[in-house]
Amino acid sequence: MKLIREIWQSIVRRDPLSTDKGKSELVFLNVWLHIHPAKVKKENLRFKHSFYLGFITFFLFIILVTTGIALMCYYRPYPPQAYQDMKDLQFAVFMGPFLRNMHRWAAHGMVVCVFLHMCRVFYTGSYKKPRQFNWVVGVLLLLLTLGLSFTGYLLPWDQLAYWAITVGTNIGSYAPLIGGQLRELLLGGHSVGEAALLRFYVLHVAVLPSLVILLTIVHFWRVRKDGGLSRPVWKLKPQKQEALVTIGAPAEAVPLHVAAASTDKTYGLMEVVTGKPIFETITPEEEEDTVFSYPYAFVREAVVLMGTVTTIMMMSLFMNAPLEEMANPAVTPNPAKAPWYFLGLQELVSHSALLGGVVAPALMVLALLAIPYFDRNPSRRPGDRKWVLWVFTLFVVANIALIIVGTFFRGPGWAWVPPWVHVVARPE
Amino acid sequence: MNRRDFFSWGTVGVAALCSAVAVSLGAVGRFLMPSVFYGPPQSFKIGDPADFPFGSPTFLVDEKIFVFRDREKGFAVASAVCTHLGCTVAYFPSDRDFHCPCHGSVFSPTGAVLHGPAPRPLNWFEVTLTRDGQLRVDKDKTVPPTYRLMV
Ligand code: HEM
Ligand code: FES
Repeated sequence: MKLIREIWQSIVRRDPLSTDKGKSELVFLNVWLHIHPAKVKKENLRFKHSFYLGFITFFLFIILVTTGIALMCYYRPYPPQAYQDMKDLQFAVFMGPFLRNMHRWAAHGMVVCVFLHMCRVFYTGSYKKPRQFNWVVGVLLLLLTLGLSFTGYLLPWDQLAYWAITVGTNIGSYAPLIGGQLRELLLGGHSVGEAALLRFYVLHVAVLPSLVILLTIVHFWRVRKDGGLSRPVWKLKPQKQEALVTIGAPAEAVPLHVAAASTDKTYGLMEVVTGKPIFETITPEEEEDTVFSYPYAFVREAVVLMGTVTTIMMMSLFMNAPLEEMANPAVTPNPAKAPWYFLGLQELVSHSALLGGVVAPALMVLALLAIPYFDRNPSRRPGDRKWVLWVFTLFVVANIALIIVGTFFRGPGWAWVPPWVHVVARPE
Repeated sequence: MNRRDFFSWGTVGVAALCSAVAVSLGAVGRFLMPSVFYGPPQSFKIGDPADFPFGSPTFLVDEKIFVFRDREKGFAVASAVCTHLGCTVAYFPSDRDFHCPCHGSVFSPTGAVLHGPAPRPLNWFEVTLTRDGQLRVDKDKTVPPTYRLMV
């Protein structure tokens, strides 16, 4: 018994969790947990504050990595074996369809949640000083998420995959000057073929996930270093707000309060590093608004994790990921549609390939990246930023509307066909 | 070594390092650019002229071409690859148009764009007769839609 206790102590090396010291040590003596602060602000834990969308996105990514590794054991990135392996996964491998479904639905979910997370961050004005750069990291993560979805889409090597990628990569070739070469580089050839499948596979299982992991680390580190989640300052009591005008608007002249070091700490870094902290700090009277991360934050995160996993599992039990006929370069299905999150783009492309496929998306990405540097209004109060909110809402609505049009209102030959009209294919 | 030497050598060193990095990046880029293509060849034989019927064009699946044969005018070969984003167009004998299933481009019998987002007409490829009497198509050589090979 004594030995067991000794071994356990050698692993955790902290005081019992019943003590405040133990609760803090749990966090900062643990390499995985210490990305959290030992204590967090109460209001940041509320579900309504962030909807935990960033966490959900991250947990979906974890599901994708684990199920993805499982799928890799059965998948050869070479036509036509790739397609046969998908068929095997679908019909022969034990739990194959379930794992494939989980991978597919988590991927769709990640695209949805990363977008919603971005909207949450925008509407709460959380990209403002000092969080500008983390927004940029976020936009890169959004692009990587889309890149992962796009490269993954080709791997089943069915008709859906083949034509979505043919159309998608041809959009790239409209980019001025380098377009053609870019496409050749991506495809490893002139058209979607075995070289393209291999390259997409490498991107999908090695390059892009590594980049996502790297940037996620930076993203989380910055959330912490920027002072945790931003808070709705305007909801604080007036006298507190007075003391905290710095939050959300650390104007140069306003002094920032440095956190009082807790009594059992022997030193604080703030005593070593001189100069004003760039992030929001906690005033002594605010201390009472904080709670220990253990158990309050960890339990909530665990609940969100379990909720995410359960949802994806339930979806995977009842809905099957599609698998069409094997890729056939000669026959284009009619209509040939890109994955749903690119249908807005495809709708634009159906009007003009250069404007809709290259110029518009490039401008959109640049605009997203530039937001924190152009919107210099320091206030996060919705009333103070009316027109910015309108513009962003317009952007969101336009994106969703285009996707809905592309998904439900486009029939054979990309003709306008509302979903309630049934079309019979024209005989050749 | 004096201060000035240190800085001039330092500059040379940094410049050398930067060029080494640039060269390496260029080499990586070149490595990724395919040198050998395993796709179908651009120039190929499609068979005996007598194999092709008059009237409606013959669609060759792997080559993605339509072979037209006309009693008076002879042979012509049109590309089946939509000039918009590369989907394979279908030919409708009823109105003699090409229709692209992806974004709805429609091409006239001569390949001109009638409708839709396609920026250019369909390509027509050179078709010649080889010495052993076979038809040969060269996708690297585009020709005007009026081009015909009489056999
Ligand atoms: C792979 C994609 C992403 C993951 C895994 C991720 C994860 C997270 C997590 C866990 C948080 C902490 C709290 C929360 O749940 O909101 C967070 C905060 C944040 N995220 Fe993301 N995120 C991703 C993409 C993005 C995108 C696309 C943007 C914006 C363009 C973004 C911008 C931010 C910002 C600025 C914060 C700080 C918010 C605040 O202080 O209130 N992130 N992210
Ligand atoms: S690919 Fe033919 S219309 Fe777009």
